[in-house]
Amino acid sequence: MSERSSSRLQLHDLHLAQGRRTVLEHVDGDIKPGAITALIGANGAGKSTLIQAIMGELRPISGKVVCTVDKARRAWLPQQLALDLTFPMSVEELVMTGSWPSHGAMKGYCAAHYRKGREIMARLGISHLAHRPLGELSGGQRQRALIGRTLMQEAELLLLDEPFANVDSDTVDILIRILRQMADEGVTIIIVLHDMDHLRRLADEVLMLNGGHGRWVAPSALNHQHAPAQVVPFTLGGRHAGTA
Amino acid sequence: MLALLDAWFIAPFDYGFMRRAVVGGLALSLAAPPLGVFLVLRGMSLIGDAMAHAILPGVALGFLLAGFSLPVMSVGGVLFGVMVALLAGAVSKMGGQREDAAMASFFIISLAAGVMLISMGGSSVDLTHVLFGSILAINSTALLLIASISTLIVITLAIIFRALVVECLDPLFLRGQSSRSGWVHSVFLGLLVLNLTAGFQTLGTLMAVGLMMLPATAARFWSKRLEGLIGIAVVLAMLASTGGLLLSFHLDTPSGPSIILLAGVAYLLSALFGRYHSLAAKLRRKTTPLALEQSH
Repeated sequence: MSERSSSRLQLHDLHLAQGRRTVLEHVDGDIKPGAITALIGANGAGKSTLIQAIMGELRPISGKVVCTVDKARRAWLPQQLALDLTFPMSVEELVMTGSWPSHGAMKGYCAAHYRKGREIMARLGISHLAHRPLGELSGGQRQRALIGRTLMQEAELLLLDEPFANVDSDTVDILIRILRQMADEGVTIIIVLHDMDHLRRLADEVLMLNGGHGRWVAPSALNHQHAPAQVVPFTLGGRHAGTA
Repeated sequence: MLALLDAWFIAPFDYGFMRRAVVGGLALSLAAPPLGVFLVLRGMSLIGDAMAHAILPGVALGFLLAGFSLPVMSVGGVLFGVMVALLAGAVSKMGGQREDAAMASFFIISLAAGVMLISMGGSSVDLTHVLFGSILAINSTALLLIASISTLIVITLAIIFRALVVECLDPLFLRGQSSRSGWVHSVFLGLLVLNLTAGFQTLGTLMAVGLMMLPATAARFWSKRLEGLIGIAVVLAMLASTGGLLLSFHLDTPSGPSIILLAGVAYLLSALFGRYHSLAAKLRRKTTPLALEQSH
């Protein structure tokens, strides 16, 4: 019960649709703060749709998302980035835009902000790229810079949609370490994953989406499997709540 | 030599109309290029053109009601520009059509309606005046209006600068940060309309957009930084407006087209010889040695 009350993100009997097509029904659960929750499922299972609903970008047909995290402290790195890579901006400037929640839209940055920005870039191993334009970054470097922005933002809820797609293994290692540190600091993290190795290394909780329904499973139960799509051959029905 | 310089660059400003014209041109050159830079960065370069047409019926109605009165025509222009922007936004939301498609439809209707209105109430001279402007004919009231609008634009841009940058770069992030993020786009379109109404007296509705876009597109060949783009675009616009006026004075050419053509020359030269992405830059392409890059 104490777990339920400390949760800052709860899903209550969610029914989600894209246009007229129902994507998910009866999805329930408490997302634990300080834990990394993996969302798994085959393509089209509704992972991105659920994330959209959590971020308030998609209104549920019924049910509700209860999120007590301040809007400015929620960060979302979608699969299809809206980021304009031709925009004349450097990595450091991108990271600094994350100071919006604490700093507002008008005030200039002070030395302490720049110091914090530099510390974050050092943590992510991108200090040497500080002045490089966004358009000249590799996929992994870009992903690190975006995580840098969420660190600057002091995000309390972080949603990542397949953050390790097209990313080199060094970046994966760094990002996994940083995400674990963020979770240890109390950040609620939801991450869409496809790779079993990443799942094993990161996930504390797993919400599996299949056949329009969600089911909480223990990460250990997935360990002997090779791919998430293969562990959901059964059809899920009814309401599944709580953690495994 | 000094006499020649004086005759070319100083003497023309003995005339009051030239002094007013150059001040008007410089005021516009401060406000228009930053808007153009953001339009280019947002991939909305043609929206400026569309809005320039959109204000025409309002300007024409003002002209019919009060004759050639800049304040009345400006108010009409602003009202019509904002209305067309809102309508285009509403149609695109309603039908799932992209905003630029709706805007393109409305601007051509506006152009036809504007030309029709002016022809009904005035002569072809009036039409030419509205379409192509007459910077040499601005009086003190017009100058005050242009300077006030330009000041307002620069101050507002400074206030919304960071929001505008974030909106251009990553609209999703801005939406996440503020539930009122939609206002950034609306304020920006409002500034665009204001700038075009300030510009139509000097350069005409059709060419006012030139001082906004050409310096901005030319600056892309010289800088990769936002501050650089804005600074270079403003300087180019100032040079073009002052140089164009002087050319028009000495060579007896129409002032509006002289200014815009000079900005056009700056664009072409930038495309040929600019620092980035120009023809010359492609020919002299050099790479940074890896060791140097890592030590940076």
